Amino acid sequence: MEIVLVSLLGGLLALDATSVGQFMTSRPLVAGALTGWAVGEPAAGVAVGAILELYLLVSYPTGGSRFPEGSTATVVAVAAAGTGSPGALALAVAAGLVWGQLAGASITYLRRANARLVPDPGQGPTSTRRLAAGHLGAVLLDFVRGVVVTFAGVLVVRPLVGGLVASWPVPPGATFGLLLVGGSVSVGILLRDFGGFRRHRTAFVVGLALALLGARLL
Amino acid sequence: MTERLSRTALTSAFLRSFLIQGSWNYRTMLGGGFAFAMLPALRRIFTDSAAMDASLQRHLEHFNAHPYLCNVALGAAVKLESEGADAETVRRFKLAVRGPLGSLGDGLVWATWLPGVSLLALTLYWIGLPGWVAVIAFLFVYNVGHVGLRLWAFRVGLADGREVGGRLARADLGGWTSKLQVVASLLLGALVGAMLVGADGLAAAGPVWVALAAIACLAGLFVGHRAWRPAAVTVVVAVAGLSALGLFL
Repeated sequence: MEIVLVSLLGGLLALDATSVGQFMTSRPLVAGALTGWAVGEPAAGVAVGAILELYLLVSYPTGGSRFPEGSTATVVAVAAAGTGSPGALALAVAAGLVWGQLAGASITYLRRANARLVPDPGQGPTSTRRLAAGHLGAVLLDFVRGVVVTFAGVLVVRPLVGGLVASWPVPPGATFGLLLVGGSVSVGILLRDFGGFRRHRTAFVVGLALALLGARLL
Repeated sequence: MTERLSRTALTSAFLRSFLIQGSWNYRTMLGGGFAFAMLPALRRIFTDSAAMDASLQRHLEHFNAHPYLCNVALGAAVKLESEGADAETVRRFKLAVRGPLGSLGDGLVWATWLPGVSLLALTLYWIGLPGWVAVIAFLFVYNVGHVGLRLWAFRVGLADGREVGGRLARADLGGWTSKLQVVASLLLGALVGAMLVGADGLAAAGPVWVALAAIACLAGLFVGHRAWRPAAVTVVVAVAGLSALGLFL
């Protein structure tokens, strides 16, 4: 029953990424929290979501681009992470990164299918009913795609993570270190996207100092 | 200007703009979604079904822009149609605005606002605040900007129609992007600090991991987006390799 609930959640969150709203409930941090709540592991959900969010900080849901799908990948990863032990977290995040790529590829097929669903203006006038049916049909298809991608992901990834987690050989500190090192690439990319370190070094250093101070106070 | 349009029709068009990418495809891109959002207004504007069909057909044509700023074109197209502008004028207007609305929106929202708010949420999480605080802060702050921008864009389009260019120039969205980049850079520094000293942070992992993270960060800074995939693949391969090793130990 849980897999059905999680798959439906994956479908809904996948819709938010581009088709409906873009309120960013599809971002890994939010998707992780919601899935964690759904499977009864809210802390693990946020932890997986936060790490995947760090990786996917530089992945934008632009209409025409192909990007890893963070929503379904996070739902799959959180469903597989269980209680969120460091080993499970590492395996779930790695699986989420892979699944995000596969899910992203499914969006390409969806967009090809959409071209057949919506009326072609080159074929002459169309009716309002035909337009509405085609457009809403495409939205429904995206939801179904999200459900199927999530369902398949949970079916594949959950037993895989469950089977490997007991023999995870790395201590917790190094496990988090490994995950954060991979995510640090996104920090560099963003710094470049924002105009480069030289241009915003004062703001960057002030932010760094504030965080160090804040962490000490908390 | 839009006397023939009821508030209900305009509200409906605005709400439908949240689904504007619903049928995004490689042939007409946003065309289907744009026509779908225009429908409530077109139904009020045209009583003649042939004119309505012709209008619907031209709005189905290829169109692409940023999904939030697209509302500028949507509002302006509604105004143009309600004023009885000819088909070629509407077509040329949409052709002229799609590029600027795409690039301005991508720079402002996708490359600055979204990562900036994500950085805020991640920093809150890594300095030790409860996860739900970070999630709620992210959703609230992001969507104040998101919905506000959509609403502003639709109103600008409705008010200025074909003259939106001047209004967009005065709004100086590029300037806003630059200002937000400063705040986002500050938040990026804050995230680095939180990742260093937060619970389960890099400092706790040891100096080797801090050094590796610095190298990864520099790779991203100098190589840009092309560094992302190799980094992700390296982490996936490392996790898979360590798992395999664990099975044999």
